[in-house]
Amino acid sequence: MVDSKQQWKAWLYLAPAIVLLLVFTVWPIINTIRMAFLEGYRGLEAVGGVSYSFGFGNFTKVIHYHKFINCLKTTILLCVLTVPISTFLALLIAVALNNIKFLQKGLQTIFFLPYVTNSIAIGMVFAAMFNIVGSFYGTENELIATAGIINNIIEFFGGKPVNWINYGSSYTANIVVMTVYIVWNALPFKILILLGGLQSINTQYYDAAKIDGTPRRRVFSRITVPLLSPMLAYVIITGFISGFKEYSSIVGIFGEGMGPADDPGRLNTMVGFIYDALSTNSQGRASAAALILFGIILVVTLINTQVGKKRIHY
Amino acid sequence: MSETNNGVMQEKNMRAVAVRQKIGKYTVKFFLYAFLLTMALIVLFPFYWMIISSLKTLAEYRLSVPTFWPKTIMLSNYAEAFTAANLGRLFMNTLYVGVVSTLLSLVITVLSAFAFARLEFKGRETVFALLLATMMIPGELFTITNYSTITHLGWMNTFTVLIVPFLVSVFYIFLLRQNFMQIPNELYLAAKVDGTSDLKYLWKVMVPLSMPTLISITILKMMGAWNSYIWPRLVANDAAHQMITNGLRNAFTETTGDVNYPVQMAAVSIVSAPLFLVFVFLRKYIMAGVSRSGIKG
Amino acid sequence: MKKKLLSIVLALLIVLSTVALTACGGQQTAPEEGSAPESSSSDAPSNGGAASNFEVPEGGYDGSDVTITFYHTMGENLSTVLDQYIVEFNKLYPNIHVKHENMGGYDDVREQISTEITVGNQPNIAYCYPDHVALYNLAKAVVQLDNLIDSQIEVKRADGTTEILGLTDEQKSDFIEGYYDEGRQFGDGLMYTLPMSKSTEVLYYDKTFFDENGLTVPATWEEMEALCAKIKEIDPESCPLGYDSEANWFITMCEQYQSPYTSATGDHYIFNNDQNKEFVKMFNSWYQKGYLTTQKIYGGYTSGLFTAEDSMRSYMSIGSSAGANHQLPQTDADGNYRFEVGIATIPQVSDSNKKVISQGPSLCIFKDTNPQEVLASWLFVKFLTTNVDFQSEFAMASGYVPVLKSVSDNAAYAEFLANADGGKYIAALSAKVCLDQVDAYYTSPAFNGSSTARDQVGGLMVKALTAKGDDLDAQIDKAFQEAIDECEYAN
Repeated sequence: MVDSKQQWKAWLYLAPAIVLLLVFTVWPIINTIRMAFLEGYRGLEAVGGVSYSFGFGNFTKVIHYHKFINCLKTTILLCVLTVPISTFLALLIAVALNNIKFLQKGLQTIFFLPYVTNSIAIGMVFAAMFNIVGSFYGTENELIATAGIINNIIEFFGGKPVNWINYGSSYTANIVVMTVYIVWNALPFKILILLGGLQSINTQYYDAAKIDGTPRRRVFSRITVPLLSPMLAYVIITGFISGFKEYSSIVGIFGEGMGPADDPGRLNTMVGFIYDALSTNSQGRASAAALILFGIILVVTLINTQVGKKRIHY
Repeated sequence: MSETNNGVMQEKNMRAVAVRQKIGKYTVKFFLYAFLLTMALIVLFPFYWMIISSLKTLAEYRLSVPTFWPKTIMLSNYAEAFTAANLGRLFMNTLYVGVVSTLLSLVITVLSAFAFARLEFKGRETVFALLLATMMIPGELFTITNYSTITHLGWMNTFTVLIVPFLVSVFYIFLLRQNFMQIPNELYLAAKVDGTSDLKYLWKVMVPLSMPTLISITILKMMGAWNSYIWPRLVANDAAHQMITNGLRNAFTETTGDVNYPVQMAAVSIVSAPLFLVFVFLRKYIMAGVSRSGIKG
Repeated sequence: MKKKLLSIVLALLIVLSTVALTACGGQQTAPEEGSAPESSSSDAPSNGGAASNFEVPEGGYDGSDVTITFYHTMGENLSTVLDQYIVEFNKLYPNIHVKHENMGGYDDVREQISTEITVGNQPNIAYCYPDHVALYNLAKAVVQLDNLIDSQIEVKRADGTTEILGLTDEQKSDFIEGYYDEGRQFGDGLMYTLPMSKSTEVLYYDKTFFDENGLTVPATWEEMEALCAKIKEIDPESCPLGYDSEANWFITMCEQYQSPYTSATGDHYIFNNDQNKEFVKMFNSWYQKGYLTTQKIYGGYTSGLFTAEDSMRSYMSIGSSAGANHQLPQTDADGNYRFEVGIATIPQVSDSNKKVISQGPSLCIFKDTNPQEVLASWLFVKFLTTNVDFQSEFAMASGYVPVLKSVSDNAAYAEFLANADGGKYIAALSAKVCLDQVDAYYTSPAFNGSSTARDQVGGLMVKALTAKGDDLDAQIDKAFQEAIDECEYAN
């Protein structure tokens, strides 16, 4: 039975976090909910003395946006693609790092370097790697001056260059680029977390396995993964949460247009939609979209925790 | 392994297995290194780009066909970066905010994660779920409300406003809770029997065992201070409190709103250097973590 | 856990929303949000129509001690120029302390101020683009300048002289009209901004190539088409013309054809018409023939194509006059430019209706509880925009053009212009060309959402240029309709 002493002690431990969250997170959320239900709410107009009536207008307006489904589709697609890939790769790298001696220090330092790399630099690299500079795509005058390093590599192996992100590129090509970019961006953080988790696994388990002569693959699946499962759960759940909030990476590659030149908005996401609404000060609509997004993430997280309940070994 | 063979066969077998294991071990090692080195190269690329960009002329930077090695090496970008922005002041401000907020944030995170991982109390799951839920709303929407809150608190242009609002990160509480849960509960129960207080147990057992994660959080939090841009610009953009990213961005814009990226990259490289050194120093502790600490599960 | 979690979160959401709604929704004016009474009180008497015009206090500026803040995007070198002239200004008005801050880019200024307005924290003066002003004016936060401009009240200066608070007739007529009129494009006929420094679009061309082949610079789009055909014959590998900004191009063509684009009042988005489809279709055929490209289609700044050393290059480039230095080719080992750059005005539809876009920051003043701060801000804005020496020095430092006609008589600026050439002094050459087309400047109507229209017609232009096939007309129709839909939705 839970004794009352532990009750208040727990709340005492939580107090600083809860107080700060109430002021700087919960209160803004309440305000967001309020704005979502005031029809056509604009913060600046409100300051100017305009008043708004209560209603669901913002929600219907969001849902009736003809590209709403498209925003949702891109968001979910990117999430479903990037979270498993980046988690798996990060796990492999972390385990590999944990298993070597020679060069270990140097490699760890390298995997940390992205943290001290400016985000503008990261965006620039990708644009340069995938960009095709040329003109008259699709006409008989088509000219291409450069095809970016990725296409150079493809050509080196005898393939045909792919139009990744420019005018006339396909949705699939766009999504491939975004997947690579997001995975790349997410890797260092996940490696750091998983490596930290691996370090926390008691070495006795491995020593025991060594004495028993357990093969590597078995050690990985029977010891490493289960003991690391809390950290894996963390990486996956937070990965999905931030994956659903994807926005800035798309701006990094495609610019504010959120799509190739001939189809701006093709890769727009839910948060991109929210930004668009905020740019014309339509906070009511932005808030409504945020609540819809919240609902979706909540369901996904519930599924995640449900699956996790069975698999995580604490 | 089979157990019915006679002695000779067994010995032969074992030798073969040993050889095979050795070969297997080397191939595994080979692939391990090949894999790690390839990934390292890929991960390293943007860093390389940052450095070469910082050495380019603006004209070369703007070329539509980017060059992978600067034609003329502009070390003067670094000199310009030094003189254009008041780097010393920006650096000290950022360091102060980074260190104070990291320390406070660690305390809050450790306490909360401990409560969620080890203490039994009514509504634990619910409160934790609510905490997770707050992560699901895009934070951009909070800006205006928080701005109005801190104005009413009179925190404009203070260090407080740069430190306090983001002290609590559900991300980190969640992370540390997961780490705490990796630690066997028996340890805690044993400590209880011995009459060790919760705080003492937390400090003597949980914290040392979770060192790698705590250091990860420290790094992330410090990087957060280093990279934070939108909020500091909004609430404390005066010279006395300006943070490094704001100072850098503002120093190199032109009237057209264009940024002189090569010089900015040079400045970023300069201020990244100390961080890099801090990591090289901390890395030892990340790796040392558990194996050194005397307590074993 | 999950069931509990779901039910509790949902329950909480419902409770919170009802609490929030009963608390705030009921009394409507959202005191939580702005609840800074100081901001609303300043707006309170000013509600409703023309009454919101700034009432100039009878004594004008009374010399009181005030600090005014000014947000801009000036980098280090321009801030230095500004600081110098603040010292000059303080010789006249020692009690007005000017604090200025570089906020980064134009979007940063807009974001910052639109947040600050919600609690009444906004600065006194800001660099602005017209759509920013329209945004701020959702909160009626920008001071209307008409009463100030017309004020005849005498103000004493510290050096013993006096000036009238408003603008004299000479001062008014010294502004380049196109720039000055930009302050009145908000649909209500009232003045909200004064121009600070401006740029426009010019045609850069490879003068060396033109001279070698006996080509002449095109004055009209008709001539441009013929010229492109000729260049394509001389150098089939080339792309004769690069146009940097698709949006500017579309809007400028609307102006040149005198066909509707947007309106500040009533139905905002009126660019879906036959005239516009016709010119878009004409340029589509040029694109298909390989005559031109734009930044988005090319995948990089078209100045990069203009200065390129590969076989794939352009011989003309239409871009911002403030970016002249980016249009310079690389120098060879002896420090000579690979070719000489010529600069001309952009092609027109007809000689009788010349139009070219006007860009660059203006200055706006924000309302404040203390009318003396508004007056002090006005005096400073007036000083910056009408001081010939400042305008001249600022223009030379920034690559923008001054907003006053008389700056060309300024000795320093005249010398600057006299040096103009197609190499090292290209910025001066660009400024010179800008001054040649002062009569052609236009600005588009500004309203909340006008920048959406800009983005949309930019995208529309790309789609329409690159459309091909038998159903070309249908594709262009669709592109127009989609752009209109997006605009309408955003509002």
